[in-house]
Amino acid sequence: MSEPVPAVEIRHLVKDFHTSFRRRPLRAVDDLSLTIRAGEVYGLIGPNGSGKSTTMKALLGLVAPTSGSCRIFGKDSLKVDSRDEVGFLPENPYFHKHLTGVETLRFYGRLCGLRGRALDDRVVELLDLVGLTDAGGRRLAGYSKGMLQRIGLAQALVQEPRLVILDEPTAGVDPVGSRGIRDLILALRDRGITVFLCSHLLEQVQEVCDHVGILCGGRIVREGRLDDLISIEDQTEIVIRRAGADLVERITALVGESPGASIVRSGRPRTTLERLFLETTTGKEGGA
Amino acid sequence: MNAHVPAGTRRGGHVVRILTIAAHAFTQLARMKVFHFLALFAVVAIASNFLNLPQHEGPESAGAAVLRSIKSWSLGAMTLFSVVIAVAATALLIPKDIEDRTLYTILAKPVPRIDYLAGRLLGVLLLLFVSLLAMDLLMTAVLQVRTAIVLGEQRDMAAALGWPPDAVESLLAETRAAGPGWPLQGAVAAVFVRAAVMASIALLISTFSTSTLFTTVVGLLVYFIGHFQADARDFWLQGGEAGEGAAARLASLALALVLPDFQLFNVIDAVIEGSVVPLATLGRLVLAGGYYVVLFTLASWFIFAEKEI
Repeated sequence: MSEPVPAVEIRHLVKDFHTSFRRRPLRAVDDLSLTIRAGEVYGLIGPNGSGKSTTMKALLGLVAPTSGSCRIFGKDSLKVDSRDEVGFLPENPYFHKHLTGVETLRFYGRLCGLRGRALDDRVVELLDLVGLTDAGGRRLAGYSKGMLQRIGLAQALVQEPRLVILDEPTAGVDPVGSRGIRDLILALRDRGITVFLCSHLLEQVQEVCDHVGILCGGRIVREGRLDDLISIEDQTEIVIRRAGADLVERITALVGESPGASIVRSGRPRTTLERLFLETTTGKEGGA
Repeated sequence: MNAHVPAGTRRGGHVVRILTIAAHAFTQLARMKVFHFLALFAVVAIASNFLNLPQHEGPESAGAAVLRSIKSWSLGAMTLFSVVIAVAATALLIPKDIEDRTLYTILAKPVPRIDYLAGRLLGVLLLLFVSLLAMDLLMTAVLQVRTAIVLGEQRDMAAALGWPPDAVESLLAETRAAGPGWPLQGAVAAVFVRAAVMASIALLISTFSTSTLFTTVVGLLVYFIGHFQADARDFWLQGGEAGEGAAARLASLALALVLPDFQLFNVIDAVIEGSVVPLATLGRLVLAGGYYVVLFTLASWFIFAEKEI
């Protein structure tokens, strides 16, 4: 039986930029290869200027590779039809400020071939999904940064794509909005949609991604399943609720009796500042 | 593996996408209050005719002159306004989309770049069409009213001077011919075609330009040079008579092929003077304009298709 077609397949991608100030071209991406299977949430992380955005642009056909290839569900990303099933949210999107939220979604929906009742229903559904139902009739000029990010996410999802590419999706969004976007990414994964995420927020990547690639100087320096990459092989973590002092003492003694074993750290685990913020401002538990 | 087809989605054709982008560009420009400026300009230009009535002349000579003055002012205003809007609006749209990153989200959808360019251009043309239509209606209404006034004055004058009926009718026919009519609509169509050519030139420049200002200045420069295109062509056709070498003639030919001949639009002046422009001439004008619009749009696509965004 043949292997299923990967959602994203990048092979030996090289991208050079020619600048007027340098004799030698600037190499933004250097022999990058990665594969994202359908249904995965893949996080690409790296410092500024490491080539993340260029990789995404090459994948979307916005820049042409100097060498190598990018394929989306088996289609060459330089071909227009490769974008039939892709939704893209750029970093800090600035949509047309003269349009309302509804008009924005209708515009992008029409570009994707949606018409009539199907388009109307989809717009209503998406505004509800991103929590902008009440603001749908307002022009984007009056939207906050977080609202712009959410309408951007809605337009990325307008044609129900199988692959969603998100470039810094929570940039400038407050913790509540950021949590909403995180939940949405997880919901997309549950529906079998592939997510290719690019972010500086490592904690967020860690929360939602199955696979991670670390990019540095245009090269992938580490890549793999998140659990494999970050688990510490020779340590085991046990978190106990309502452990009395005598129980802790007995466990400590037991560990001491085991040859080669030692307690690295003990004490009360801390909640995160994000969870505390969410519990304080929304009254809900911040989640795991 | 079967391709996933979302419910209600069908792959839109080029025409649908182009029309969607054109409607969007039109809305964008309209909401930038372009029409406010246009209306103000048109009202000022046409209302100024009321202030310049030559009171010292007799009605038999003043009638046609007044109507010619109205046409001249109005068509001049239309030309200036349509060319400026064609260049400035087109020059604004693409750099703004790049600067605002809205181009990313549009081209990240299944939108071929030629559809994007054609849609943007069509949006500007739609704006020009609506603008010129509004100005045309205003000009025609003013001319209609003024023609009726002039005809009344001429009738009174002829009656007072005891002119014979055939002489009166001849004078009135001449005045009516100088009033609103189909030749005038042909001149407005020529103004539109010229503006469309200018918009396509601005589109081409904006695909490699780095700023709106550069595109606008170069676009208006091309407009200026375009008025010498015919001279370049004549120079080439005359060949040796000009006493220049083959290289100079080839350069003149190249200039003539890629730069529009704006002297073709001198028919507008003929209409102002009361001439009737033959339909064939107007047809040739539209064909020539269409040739340049298609040529410049394809050239824009050639550059924009390779542009890294």
